[in-house]
Amino acid sequence: MLDLQSLTVGYRNARGAVVSDIDLSAAPGDFVCILGRNGSGKSTLMRTIAGLQTALDGAALLDGEDIASMRPATRARRIAVVLTERQFNPGLRVDDVIALARQPFTGWQGGLAEDDRVAITDAVAVTGVEPFLRRFFSDLSDGERQRVMIARALAQTPHLMILDEITAFLDLPSRVEIMAMLRDQAREKDQIVLLSSHDLDLSLQLADSVWLLDDAGGFSVGTPDELSRSGAIGGAFDTGAIRFSPERGRFEIGAAGVGCRREA
Amino acid sequence: MSARVSTSVAVLIAALGALALLTLTYGQIALPLADTLGALTGTQSTDLARQIVLDIRLPRVVAAIVAGGALGMAGVLMQALFRNPVADAWSLGLLAGGQLGVALTVTAAAFAGPAAVSFLTLFEGPSITLAAAVGVAIAAFAMLALGRRVGAITLLVIGLMLGFTSQGLTSVLLHFAARAGGRIYGGWQDASFAGVAPEALPWLALPILLGACAAVATAKSLSSLLLGETYARSLGVKVTALRHAVLAATVLLVAPVVAFCGPVSFVGLIAPHFARALAGTARILPLLPLAALGGALLALSGDAIIHAPWEQHFLHLNAILAIVGAPVVILILIFSPAVRQWR
Repeated sequence: MLDLQSLTVGYRNARGAVVSDIDLSAAPGDFVCILGRNGSGKSTLMRTIAGLQTALDGAALLDGEDIASMRPATRARRIAVVLTERQFNPGLRVDDVIALARQPFTGWQGGLAEDDRVAITDAVAVTGVEPFLRRFFSDLSDGERQRVMIARALAQTPHLMILDEITAFLDLPSRVEIMAMLRDQAREKDQIVLLSSHDLDLSLQLADSVWLLDDAGGFSVGTPDELSRSGAIGGAFDTGAIRFSPERGRFEIGAAGVGCRREA
Repeated sequence: MSARVSTSVAVLIAALGALALLTLTYGQIALPLADTLGALTGTQSTDLARQIVLDIRLPRVVAAIVAGGALGMAGVLMQALFRNPVADAWSLGLLAGGQLGVALTVTAAAFAGPAAVSFLTLFEGPSITLAAAVGVAIAAFAMLALGRRVGAITLLVIGLMLGFTSQGLTSVLLHFAARAGGRIYGGWQDASFAGVAPEALPWLALPILLGACAAVATAKSLSSLLLGETYARSLGVKVTALRHAVLAATVLLVAPVVAFCGPVSFVGLIAPHFARALAGTARILPLLPLAALGGALLALSGDAIIHAPWEQHFLHLNAILAIVGAPVVILILIFSPAVRQWR
């Protein structure tokens, strides 16, 4: 169970609070999509929940325990993240990357036991990264690298999985496949999956619940249906050029575009 | 440990043993293998053979193995810490920093008067190791602080430039130290394993042993730092503490090498690449023994080439390491698949 208790996230500098006073919860097995435009605070919120950034106020609790004050080793056994940052790592191979996910569970040498191997094999199988296990991580394409990092997060067997913009480099069939796979994993393993995405169509079709951030620091939560009908999605994303259509559940080119079509 | 790693370790140990024996037998005076072994084991041997093997050649061979091993391990730590395939104690200016520390101490003693010089001579082992350690540590922390602001290549250039500056200063300082009556560190700036006296060996080996233990202790956490700082934190690693621990291990490994053998170049840069290729992994723990053995093998090979029975003495250690090492680094940078994306 993930509980956010009047959580305020942001920075202790001029940027200040990004999203304030969030109160909500997610149950094991929930597949939650976090939607919002660039700069709306999705990453800040996710990093704060993951315990990688301190909250300005309030707290995020996982199974009743404050994530920020958990021992780092405990937190690492319960929360896995996939982030957008890329780094160069000399000589790091794909199987190394995935095996590193088991570090919170291994002894001082980092040697893998039987259950570690099982977790790794499972993660490799569901993400389909088997063909490039022996390749250098830095040699992979962006899409392949995303898959590997997702496999790594799954191999960490977390209670809560936080994935930031993971579908950005994937083609449409891969996006559908990965997001559906994550939803199935969430249900099967009773994990909470928090995923931020710019893929509105797909998120609205797959999510159990949507957390919507608008540009003004506003925050709304609901099922995809509730949020489309209430106009919250339109409120967060509509511009002069595009408009969300609650009836069709997708975006349409706005007045200018429609006008062109009529003339033709 | 995987079969691949243990086989490689066994092969490297055998190769190192064979090379060490070879190095003990030859030189200006060639000794039969039987005499060499006899001198080593303390059984039948001539006095001359015993003196040559035990007093002259063995300390040099041991120093080469220990120092080469230390530089290899330090290279593994530095390349992981800086996520930079050409980082090592030499390329990032740590060795030069250590040299400057020693030079400053020697010069200060020379100007302070004969009492200070004789104090320094009496406690030479601990005092110059400490002086080198301070220099190495300052250089290491400066590089770590800079490494968070500038890119990997800029950091490398800065490291090399600071290295040249420190070496220039060192040579000026040592000149004045010599004029003021301090000890002249002949040949030290070109690096050599021959200058390590038998009684200095513990001062060389002890900090290195501690450094090796620290390296092994940090190996698991350092492996996850290969994924980047945020991922390492998400895996439960306290990144700042880890950085400091790794730097402390590096200082322990590198400072005695600078103090007693001078700025041995290229060994620490090449050995980790060699270890990664053998191990088939970038995880730190299996790399440490392989890089230690590889570094020892490289250092001892260099030493063996210098001390081959040439007509006249014309080679010094850093010359042979540079002649062989620089092209190897260039080849790694151009052809190694492990650094393809970095190029």
